[in-house]
Amino acid sequence: MSLKHHTSIMDDPAADLHDTILSHHMGNTVQSRVLIVDDDDLVRARLAALLRMSNFEVEVAGSGEEALRILGTAPCQIVLTDWQMPDMDGLALCRYLRTACHENYIYVVMLTVRDAKQDVLTGLAAGADDYVLKGTPVEEILARLEIGRRITHVEQSLRTSNRENRRLAITDPLTGAHNLRYLMKNLPRELSRSRRYGHPLAILSCDIDGFKQVNDRFGHQAGDLVLQAFVTRSTGCLRKTSDWLARIGGDEFVIVLPETTLPGATSVAKKLRRQIAAQPVATNTGLVTFMASVGVTALEPADVPSGPAAVEELMHTADRNLYASKRGEINGLD
Amino acid sequence: MGSIEHRPRTDRSASGHGAASEKLQELFAVRLQSERVHFVTLSAALARAEECPAGIFDDLTFRAHRLRGAAATFEFANLAEAAGTLEKASLAAASSRAAHTDPDVWEALVALVQMLGTIEENTRSTPGVQPAVRAD
Repeated sequence: MSLKHHTSIMDDPAADLHDTILSHHMGNTVQSRVLIVDDDDLVRARLAALLRMSNFEVEVAGSGEEALRILGTAPCQIVLTDWQMPDMDGLALCRYLRTACHENYIYVVMLTVRDAKQDVLTGLAAGADDYVLKGTPVEEILARLEIGRRITHVEQSLRTSNRENRRLAITDPLTGAHNLRYLMKNLPRELSRSRRYGHPLAILSCDIDGFKQVNDRFGHQAGDLVLQAFVTRSTGCLRKTSDWLARIGGDEFVIVLPETTLPGATSVAKKLRRQIAAQPVATNTGLVTFMASVGVTALEPADVPSGPAAVEELMHTADRNLYASKRGEINGLD
Repeated sequence: MGSIEHRPRTDRSASGHGAASEKLQELFAVRLQSERVHFVTLSAALARAEECPAGIFDDLTFRAHRLRGAAATFEFANLAEAAGTLEKASLAAASSRAAHTDPDVWEALVALVQMLGTIEENTRSTPGVQPAVRAD
């Protein structure tokens, strides 16, 4: 009987491939956290050591149930799970992960000794993205996890991009306020809520007095600064948790004040005008003093319009009140 | 008995000769010694059993399955294969309510215990070396 190493790394092409993959991992700045789920302590430790050396963050669990507890506190992009385990096995874990709602997609690799064709099909049908046999060369396991890293990274990028697109779609790029799209989507909700709970609702319809003259005299950049100042100063007068503001046109804004009566809305409008007039806006072309007209529309629950034309009807009323305000006919804001 | 083939890695690889890796290899060697004791105990229980020793077959299946997974993970391919043979034989024996003398189970059990013994011997004869690399 003799003791000798079966092979040398120097003549092992697989080792070179492994080094290539490993060096790729080392140079990869994309962090992925892998949750290793196996009821065998030594297997977990061995896999964890290999993965850590390949630039993966690693969590470990001894059963499916423990895995779920960990996933609840430490989000993982990849789950590398055994099949047969006490309590919740790998199949049940896969099925649960596919039906549960997670913020990000979890790439699941089943790592098991069960090598029957039917086992592979069962594992994949349970929701595993990949099925790898224990004993598969380490470099191949790492290569398969690298696929998981790429896929989850792309998925995260797309999710972030979608979230940003959704935000941009409802945001006015100049002022950062909500836009008309946001108003048309959310004002009906406010109307419904007001009717449902029997709460009053108020709308402030605003525009900047002589905004065209500001642009003509000081330039469009100065005009932009005035719009931004209006949003900043108005927002300072609003409740952060319920009130909101949308820019619906050039210098036109709508402020929505849920659960607010006419006296309350009038008070907000006065405060807003005081804030706006408090100090001029510094621009490259000089100090710009400006004022806004504010039309106050307050609705008691019984008066809240309903139906498909409700928003249009409300906005029409708000416009009328704005122009009445400009003419000094109502509200007594001055 | 076939060769007990283990393909150790060098320090160029992820599972190289780092201290942690060596420690794990040592722990696995200790684990194999313990596994051998368990399988010998189970074989004695099986020899003494009467009628269908379903419980012993289940124990053998469970323990062989775990050993198969661990051996494969530590790249002891032949040991994993031997454990897998015992796992399948004892599973089949349990489901067919075979007698305690089931030849497939005994053949696989003897082969596995002998292989574990060879590995243990190799480990003992070469302290500091990773568990058995090859036993001819």
